[in-house]
Amino acid sequence: MGLINPLHIVIPAMRFNVNMSNLSRRDFFKLITTTLLTISGALGIDALFRFLNYQTEPPAKTEFDVGLTESYPIGSRSLIPDVPAFLIHNENGFSALSLICTHLGCTIGQKDNGFACPCHGSRYDVDGNVLRGPAQKPLRSLRVEITSDQHVILHTD
Amino acid sequence: MKRLIALGSAILLLAILAAWWTNSRQPKPIVLIPTLTGKPEYCLTCHSNLREISPSHPIKTFGCVICHGGVALALDANLAHSTLRGGANPSDLSVVQESCGGSNCHSGSAADNNNHIQRVMTSVQSTYAGAITNILYTFGVQSDLTARFGIHAVTDNQITTSTGVPSLEAFDPAKATNPFIQKFWTNCLTCHLSAPALPGSQFDRLTGCAACHTPNVDSFPQGQIHKLTTDIPYTQCNTCHNRGNYDLQSMTFLQRTDQPQPKNRLQNYYQPIAQFTKCEYTLDCIDCHTRTEAMGDGDIHSNEANIQYIQCKTCHGTPTQLPLTKILTDPNDIAFRQAQLNPAVDLKLGDTVIVTDKGEPIWNTRGLPDGNYQLVGKATGQVFTFRPVMGSGCTQNGIDQSSAYCHTCHAVQR
Repeated sequence: MGLINPLHIVIPAMRFNVNMSNLSRRDFFKLITTTLLTISGALGIDALFRFLNYQTEPPAKTEFDVGLTESYPIGSRSLIPDVPAFLIHNENGFSALSLICTHLGCTIGQKDNGFACPCHGSRYDVDGNVLRGPAQKPLRSLRVEITSDQHVILHTD
Repeated sequence: MKRLIALGSAILLLAILAAWWTNSRQPKPIVLIPTLTGKPEYCLTCHSNLREISPSHPIKTFGCVICHGGVALALDANLAHSTLRGGANPSDLSVVQESCGGSNCHSGSAADNNNHIQRVMTSVQSTYAGAITNILYTFGVQSDLTARFGIHAVTDNQITTSTGVPSLEAFDPAKATNPFIQKFWTNCLTCHLSAPALPGSQFDRLTGCAACHTPNVDSFPQGQIHKLTTDIPYTQCNTCHNRGNYDLQSMTFLQRTDQPQPKNRLQNYYQPIAQFTKCEYTLDCIDCHTRTEAMGDGDIHSNEANIQYIQCKTCHGTPTQLPLTKILTDPNDIAFRQAQLNPAVDLKLGDTVIVTDKGEPIWNTRGLPDGNYQLVGKATGQVFTFRPVMGSGCTQNGIDQSSAYCHTCHAVQR
C-alpha cells in the first residue's frame, strides 16, 4: 500500500502530485532532472555566496593604540614590541622609531645604547642612524598621534 | 532528450558534490605574510613545526617561498610542491641563483664580499677543475696543468689573481676515448658541490651551499633538515675530505678502511698516513681556513693549491716575524659580519685580530697583552692560547713554511 500512496514532493521550482504507479516516463525524468538541478542550484548559490563573501587576507595593521600618554612620562624611551617600535617622549613631545631593519626587514632589538639587527648585524644608534651595515638607511620615523582622550596612536603607514 | 538533460543534471550535481567534498577536506590555512615580500603564504599550514633555518633568515621576514619557490597559496601538497626549486634543497647549484641570489642576498651585490654564489660557482669545490685537469694531463689529453674543463661550464670576466683562468668548458665524457678517463668520469667525480653524497652515514651531506652549511644531516629527524649555519664542524668537511682515496690504477674510489672515530679527533682526522700538529686536529677546519679558501675568491683556478694559502706562519709567524695583525677600527669590517653570523666571539671595535697575507681577518683570534694570542673554536667554543714562533727556540727558515717543515718537529705520534 505504502508504495502506491501518492507521493507529495515539494520543490521550489514546481509542485508534483504524483502517484508512483501512474508516473509517466516523461514525468519521471522531469522529476529527476528538476530535483538534481535544484540541488545543484542550491549548492551553486551557496558556493557563489561564499565566493562573493570571500575574505581575502586583511591588510596589515597600520594603526596601533599603545595606551594613555600618562604611561609614557617625559624622558621615557619605551619599547613597543607589538608594532614593533621605540616610543620616545621628551621635552619636544612624542616621537617613534620603527624597529624594522632597513636592510631586509628583520625586527631589531636594543643593544649597547642603540639597536642591533639579529639577522645580519646592522647596528643603529639611539636615534636610528646607521652605525654599521649592511643596512644603509636610518630607522624609519613613525607618525605619532595623540587623541582627544589622550591615547597615543602609532601609524606605521 | 529528457534523458540527456537528466544525465547532465546528475553529472553537474556529482561535479558540484566532488568540488564540495574536495574543498571540505582542505585544511584551514595558516597564513604568513613575510615582511620582505608582503605576499601571503600558506606553507605553515603543514610546516609549522619546522625549525627556523637560521637567525639570518627568520621566517617572519623571509617566509618560505622566496627561497624555496613552490605555490604559495596551494593547500594540496603536490600542487604546493610542484614548483619547488631544487626539490627539498634550494641551495643546489642548479637553482641557487634563483633561490639564494639577488643583490640584497648572496649575489650581484656591489660589495664583493656578498657575491657568494659567483665565488662558489667558480671555486674548485664546485668546478672540480683540479682533479679533472690532473687526470687529463696524466693521460695526455692536455699538455699542461692549466684547467680547461670543469663539472660545469663557467666564465670569469674579471680575473684578479695570477692563477685565474678565463673560462672552463663542461667536461664531456662522451668525447673521451681513453677508457681510464671514462672510468674516472664514472667513478671518481663524487665529491664536488653538485654531486650527491655516497652511501653511508659518514658521507651524508646535501649539495650546493647546504653541503657545508647544513652539517650533520644524518642527525636530523626524517624530513626535518632545515638548518643553515657558519658553525661547521670538521666532521662536515670530512664528508668529502676524509672518505678514502682514489686508486688511479683502477680509477675507483676506495673508502677508508678504518672506522671513523668521532671521539678521537686525531684518529678521525683526514688521511690515516698523514701527519698532524696538535692544532691541526684539535681545531676545526674553519678555525684556520678562510671563507675565500673554502668558497673561492671569484677567480677560476686550476687546482686547490692556487686558492689554499693558510700556513702555520699565518697564526704563529716565523722566527723573524710576528703574525700579521690589525686593529679593528672600521665598524663595517667584514670581521664583524662574520663574527655576527657565528657568535663564538664577541668582537668589538679596537680588538686586535690576526690577518692573512691577503688581509682576511681571522676574526676568531685575539692578540693578548702578554704577546701571546688566543683563538676561539668556531664550532666548539673552546679557547686556545698560543705563542708566536718569534722568541721561541725554533730555528726554522722563515720561507719554508709549508706544513711538512713544521711537522718535522711538531707532528704528534699517531
